[in-house]
Amino acid sequence: MISYIVRRLLILPIILIGVTLLVFSMIMMLGPYERLSTYIKDPAELKNVDVDVLVTKLGLNDPWYEQYGRWISGVARGDMGWSESAGSTVTQAFLSRFPATAELGLLALLPVVVGGVILGVFASVHHNDFWDHVSRVLAIIGWSVPTFVFGLIMLMIFYGTLGWFPPSRLDSWALDIVNSAGFINYTNFFIIDGLLNANFAIVGNAIRHLVAPVITISILWWAFIMRITRSSMLEILRRDYIRTARAKGVKENVVVYKHAVRNALIPVVTVAGRMVLGLLGGLVITETIFNIKGLGQFMAQAAQQLDYPAVLGGTLYFGFLLILINLCVDVSYAIIDPRIRLE
Amino acid sequence: MKRSSILILVLSMVLVLSLTVGAFAQVNNPNTFTKINMGTIDSLDPHYQYDNASSEIYANIYENLIMFKEGDITQYEPLLATEVPTVNNGLIKNDGTTYIFPIREGVTFHEGGTLTPEDVKYSFMRGLIHDRNGGPWWMLYGPLFDAGGLSDITEQVVGVENPSELTAAQSAEVYAELDKAISVDGNKVVFNLPKPNPTFLSVVVHDNGLGAIIDKEWSIEQGAWDGSPETIAEYYDPAKESDPLHEQTNGTGPFMLNTWEKGKRIALDRNDNYWREPAQLERVIINYIDEWSTRKLMLQRGDADVVYMDKQYQSQVENLDGVEFISGLPNLYTGYGLMNWTIDTKGNPDVHSGELDGNGVPSDFFEDINVRKAFNYSMNYDAFVSEVMDGDGQQARGPIPEPFLGFDEDSPVYTMDLEKAEEHFKKAFDGELWDKGFEITILYNTGNSMRKTASDMLKYNIEQINPNFKINVRGIQWASYLDRMIAGKFTLGFIGWGADYADPHNFTVPFMRSDGTFGNFKGESYKEWAKENGVDSLVNKGVEVTDREEREEIYKEIQNIAYEYATDLYLYQPTAHILMRDWVQGWTYDPILHDGIYYYRIYKAQE
Repeated sequence: MISYIVRRLLILPIILIGVTLLVFSMIMMLGPYERLSTYIKDPAELKNVDVDVLVTKLGLNDPWYEQYGRWISGVARGDMGWSESAGSTVTQAFLSRFPATAELGLLALLPVVVGGVILGVFASVHHNDFWDHVSRVLAIIGWSVPTFVFGLIMLMIFYGTLGWFPPSRLDSWALDIVNSAGFINYTNFFIIDGLLNANFAIVGNAIRHLVAPVITISILWWAFIMRITRSSMLEILRRDYIRTARAKGVKENVVVYKHAVRNALIPVVTVAGRMVLGLLGGLVITETIFNIKGLGQFMAQAAQQLDYPAVLGGTLYFGFLLILINLCVDVSYAIIDPRIRLE
Repeated sequence: MKRSSILILVLSMVLVLSLTVGAFAQVNNPNTFTKINMGTIDSLDPHYQYDNASSEIYANIYENLIMFKEGDITQYEPLLATEVPTVNNGLIKNDGTTYIFPIREGVTFHEGGTLTPEDVKYSFMRGLIHDRNGGPWWMLYGPLFDAGGLSDITEQVVGVENPSELTAAQSAEVYAELDKAISVDGNKVVFNLPKPNPTFLSVVVHDNGLGAIIDKEWSIEQGAWDGSPETIAEYYDPAKESDPLHEQTNGTGPFMLNTWEKGKRIALDRNDNYWREPAQLERVIINYIDEWSTRKLMLQRGDADVVYMDKQYQSQVENLDGVEFISGLPNLYTGYGLMNWTIDTKGNPDVHSGELDGNGVPSDFFEDINVRKAFNYSMNYDAFVSEVMDGDGQQARGPIPEPFLGFDEDSPVYTMDLEKAEEHFKKAFDGELWDKGFEITILYNTGNSMRKTASDMLKYNIEQINPNFKINVRGIQWASYLDRMIAGKFTLGFIGWGADYADPHNFTVPFMRSDGTFGNFKGESYKEWAKENGVDSLVNKGVEVTDREEREEIYKEIQNIAYEYATDLYLYQPTAHILMRDWVQGWTYDPILHDGIYYYRIYKAQE
């Protein structure tokens, strides 16, 4: 197992270099004037300066490998240029928005995966009976209703009418506490910071604000995970070794939960990995409707504004995230199915 | 489930819902005022900011020497001065060329400093030296120096056109010239004008950030202008983000900055040491939410007291419980499509190829009068006013809005005529444009549906004329919108001008004069054209002439030039409106602050 993980980790730097080369090649597709912004840390550098002089000074007409060397050393230090749409450096923009997205994504992850898997297993076990049909219909509805419609309905009912789950990340009173000197923002994840500061009112308020967006996201992904789990389970349940187990008189619960579920999880883990990438990359519509100033909203804004440094920084971020998630997925495969370690 | 159980469940839900909906008779958070706006603000520096969203923040944190009387923008009352200068009280002297302001004592800044006349002089001198590109300082350079900006003075005094190239010695010479205009005499600050100027008081009045008084010592400590005559070059035209007062404030006003989370939220706290009675509200919060549905729900729930609403959503709010919608307010505002006559094409994706090759537009695209006229004939003004503005407003007839001198409801205006548009497109660039076509991107500021619709209308109409014409419409954040305009990278985009003071001069300068706010954004060829064709001198003459009829004729002529040469695309003069909870009390409309609110007088109570 350990040698398997080590092998995977050794490949990591090569993939990372590949990703940076890919992003850099995108930068090189821009003209030198557009590329300039990816090297600027403060717009004051552009004041009263001849742009052509600056292009030469920054070596933007040098051979590509020299430019790559300078760029990659900047990236390693966290310099990814100035984001016009954020009014700050790209790194600052990402750091300030990541907690909102990650808090939402990670909180949605657990109910989505657990709920989706349980529903999928349940539907497969009750294959073609009433509950299977109900689950499938719900999955189709969940997958078909557009997020902006479902999100708005959630907001109208649970905030507009009932007042239970308001938009944004915190109420004003809670934001005042979070911004006060007495509250230490260790992570900018309000739930975690609330716990670390032993301020449970903040924890409660943060959770209250996350319920509606988490449900909005969950409904969509639940349907997806459920369908994948169901199909995978149905395929496994038809395998010979399951038939043998049943013939040997093994209890149905043991057959399903011990022999079938574990093997059915491989495709689910693959899909879950993609889902994590989507969740941590930001969910534009959910973030917009619930006024969560996260990465999704920011990336959409940056793309619309042709804010190249932010878009390229985002690409790099997604690339790294994808590598990391793939690593986790690979390790999960090995845990679920020992045969994979040996291949 | 039995039918009876379902019925009970449904009834219980209806009961819960109805109880919850009716639960908002009481005032929510009576001491906290929440406004939900869209977009963002540009800067917190009162001498830098020059947009509506930012000016609301400045107006509640900083104070000027005088302010408007409540609800009347033609009358003044003292603020940080103890008296409003008039001829009768002897504080306007020498045929209207000397204005004396006795400075109030016992006023403290939020950070603890005490207001002195030196602070007043420093504040004005700092702003005059800053004179940032696209900023408000032209309004004071006119009355104080009969000039358009610092560059005019540096050229006059030391022959240097760009103030950032001044040497220390040259800087001292220029400073000596600036210094003549403002002096401290005991507890008074004296302004010396080269000639009488009726707009002076209306320029330095509260609502205009350029007259905001800052604490000299504190500002220097933060890295603002060091007060030295020799450092003009260093502090002239600062970059927004490196301006030390961009993110921090220290005024004397009724509210103090608590937090500015860029693009998210601004929180202001009551200044309990305010020199007048402290405000009734303890806290003001301005949240920025671009999604209209969310803003509307927050208003309905009572979590917001005022929300920004585009006119087209009027029908959704007219009968909301607990919500007051006031419309039809007079609006001294002209909305127009700015055409950049010299687009900076370097690294500018909005011009695409940047050439007249069918795949982009060249830098001088809008320098061609036929292109400008064709665009003017391609806008559906009637539909815009009746559908987008819901009939609350009118088509603009040039830079000057109603009811100022020069506005004439019988003056010629463009109407949509696609045949004439085609005619002009065929003439443009000697027919080359028609044969090759073009592709251009028009920007609008995200969240502003009216501007987006105006851009979409142009796109729709122009693309019908010739299949080789392609227009893209793209939304960007407000602060970036302004930055692109200042950088000369704007192609065509809709923007507006709200009055800084009640005089047509405040519209003719920014729209028409070569060194006016928009004139600056329209590039070198517009500047040359405005100078050569006598537009600049006509605008200047308008404010120098005292005879009303003669002034009116001058302003009518300026309106006519805007039409004849299709300098830009003059689109609309809206009425103003406000959407707020009915428990908001003490609100009066201030057409200079536009949709900004002066929170000092506001309180919340159900009446």
